[in-house]
Amino acid sequence: MVSHFGIFLPGCSRLHRLHPLTKLTFTLAAVIIVFGGPGKWFSALVPGLIALAILASAGLARIGLRITLRILVPLALMLLFVHGLFSPVNQNFILQLAIFKVGREGVLYAVLVILRLTAALFSSLVLVLSTHPAHLVQALEEAGLSPRFAYLFGSPLLLIPQLSGRIQSIRAAQQARGLEIQGNLLRRVKALFPLVAPLAFSALVDVEERALALEVRGFSAPHTKTYLNALQDSSWQRLLRWGMLALAVGLLAKRFVWA
Amino acid sequence: MAAIEVQNFSYIYPGESEAALRNIHFEVEAGQLFAILGANGAGKSTLCLALAGLIPHLFHGEMNGNVTVLGMNTLKYGPSELAGKVGLVLQNPANQLSGMRYTVYEEVAFGLENLGVPSIQMPERIKKALSWVGLSELGDRSPYALSGGQQQRLALASVLALEPQVLILDEPTAMLDPKGSQEIFEIIHKLTQMGKTVIIAEHRLEWVACHADRMLVLKEGEAILQGKPAQVMTLPLLKEIGIGWLRYTEAAYLGKKRNLWLEDMPLPVTLEQAVVGFLRV
Repeated sequence: MVSHFGIFLPGCSRLHRLHPLTKLTFTLAAVIIVFGGPGKWFSALVPGLIALAILASAGLARIGLRITLRILVPLALMLLFVHGLFSPVNQNFILQLAIFKVGREGVLYAVLVILRLTAALFSSLVLVLSTHPAHLVQALEEAGLSPRFAYLFGSPLLLIPQLSGRIQSIRAAQQARGLEIQGNLLRRVKALFPLVAPLAFSALVDVEERALALEVRGFSAPHTKTYLNALQDSSWQRLLRWGMLALAVGLLAKRFVWA
Repeated sequence: MAAIEVQNFSYIYPGESEAALRNIHFEVEAGQLFAILGANGAGKSTLCLALAGLIPHLFHGEMNGNVTVLGMNTLKYGPSELAGKVGLVLQNPANQLSGMRYTVYEEVAFGLENLGVPSIQMPERIKKALSWVGLSELGDRSPYALSGGQQQRLALASVLALEPQVLILDEPTAMLDPKGSQEIFEIIHKLTQMGKTVIIAEHRLEWVACHADRMLVLKEGEAILQGKPAQVMTLPLLKEIGIGWLRYTEAAYLGKKRNLWLEDMPLPVTLEQAVVGFLRV
């Protein structure tokens, strides 16, 4: 799933062609509405469905669903278990499993949290699946953000391919030295440190070398930057961005100020 | 005129008590290829960082003396001001990719963009740099899809696009296979023919002997030898500090004891010199 460009999937859909800031604004607005909008079920469902429709329009729905399921299924099971059985607000019980009683209120709360997380993840995937991290960084710089901050923002996405390759090398090296990473939970937990520690240390060394390489190529030079390829923006996209932000802030205000 | 002047340069890394480099003093003339030799930990990389202005601007240790590159004192001018005039290529090819660009072509543009080069001038400079390093055909490929040798050539192209007068190479072939190393050496050879000043920290004595105009040997942070390869690489001290001699030099030295090498003939540092010398006998 990790390509040379992180989890970005190159394409030429309309979504791919949108200015990165338009997609970033959509993600931010959707997350604000999901967690802060009025009508908790409405706010949790609608942004998620819109995000899924957008992903589908770009042919990214299947991969989006696959990523979401992989991330959220274990979390969802845990939430349902904890809140269904142990939530202090449980009063009406819908199911009895041996000595455990499943509470309706806890289950509903868990479902709400799962829906919110799903919506937030779908909205984020609209951005990360269709936007090359470099274009996002460039868009942020062009918007006036300091290059260092823009790089900081984009670097977790930029470094995914490198870290993914490094993890595979470390895993192979440790397995060659007899480390068992398959098997029961305890064995997997034990194997975690020998895998994570070299990754963290080597990543720190890489960061220093990369910083040097960036500096000698004028990353902090005081010149006004120019760009080989200007990102395509348009007045309707600018209007849409302001519109989405206004909608998010308006819905937030409706809930907290005029509620 | 000297392109680089290093005067009584000493440097201690932050948190260290011992100096990484002590009283280093040398000059490099414009257009020369200057090699820095030394065992691991001798201070080669530190010297390269200082020549690129990264010391003392990014590494805030204790620095004494002066490093002047193209008339710019690195105490006053940092890497931002030196970028475009001085290029630096490091050992690890992958870590030199900005990670911020989609293709090889765009990766080369990264430095030009930082220096504010008008976008209309970029394509020509990018194409020229890619052609120097033989990557013209791979312009549309992702930088991460290249081999180690190709990535190092890309790192070199990214620096060359900035058209620096001085190029500093810190063991550029350390992580490459023989083919990748050969390709890098060929490019460096071309650059010196074009009149660029090249400083290279390198382990491969054979290449240094053939191509360097002058060389500096470091041992535990001190400059112990300096001069032309033919002078330096036949000194017994080189063997004592673990760098050793080339096989040709060693063969001629042993030959001298058995009358297979003329007494008045200097020891060879290249294959050609060795062949000529042995043929004379």
